[in-house]
Amino acid sequence: MMQSFKFERASRLAAALVSLVSLLAVSGAHAAGNAERGQAKATAVCASCHAVGGDWSKPLQPEYPKLAGQHYDYLVTTLNAYKQGEKSVVGRKNAVMAPMAKSLSKQDIEDVAAYLSKLPGDLKVRH
Amino acid sequence: MKNLLSLLSLAALGLAAPAALAQSAPAAPTASVASPGPAASGAPIGTTHTGGKAAACIGCHGIPGYRVAFPHVYHVPMIAGQNAKYLESALNAYKSGERKHPTMAAIASSLSDKDISELAAYYSKGGSGK
Repeated sequence: MMQSFKFERASRLAAALVSLVSLLAVSGAHAAGNAERGQAKATAVCASCHAVGGDWSKPLQPEYPKLAGQHYDYLVTTLNAYKQGEKSVVGRKNAVMAPMAKSLSKQDIEDVAAYLSKLPGDLKVRH
Repeated sequence: MKNLLSLLSLAALGLAAPAALAQSAPAAPTASVASPGPAASGAPIGTTHTGGKAAACIGCHGIPGYRVAFPHVYHVPMIAGQNAKYLESALNAYKSGERKHPTMAAIASSLSDKDISELAAYYSKGGSGK
């Protein structure tokens, strides 16, 4: 009786682990944001530093990254990293980006990333 | 029963293993960065994929569609064509710990200031007009 209970618990745990792993694998690559909403949000929150004259390949300072065409899931990851700050094992500590990222909801982040990742730009995969 | 639990957990983790391997494999060239290679003897970076400093980068950043599996699966950023100053600042942030990422921290720590500025210059030109 006890044994079958334990077995059931073990099976459930294993099943949960499997689902978690698959879920993470899928969510990382799938663009879930709404680019139209993202455009409005990005224009309001990000453009003053990242898009001089509305050009997302022309950030205000050379120390700031070009965002046009960057990968969707990387953008989502980095915004979350700034949001989490140094307390996360993959967080980013940045006095400028932290308040920006914290002002964005999960949906906002996905929307902004969807918009930016679809823009044509200078960024390439090249070695 | 405990054994069964461990076994099942391992099986679950096994699903993630190929992705984790994909991440760890390209990290191998890092070793060549630490040891004196052609780059140390003055060979231009980026021109040789095995000896140049860019060897540490291309395993992940030079492969179209390449994804890492930590902390979740996502595409590594495109860095060719990016601003040089930004790339420098990003590498220095990984080095100082302001940006936390085990793989990038290890690679950035192996780079000197000169390496970082050369790599940043190399990648920033990588996307220009092409």
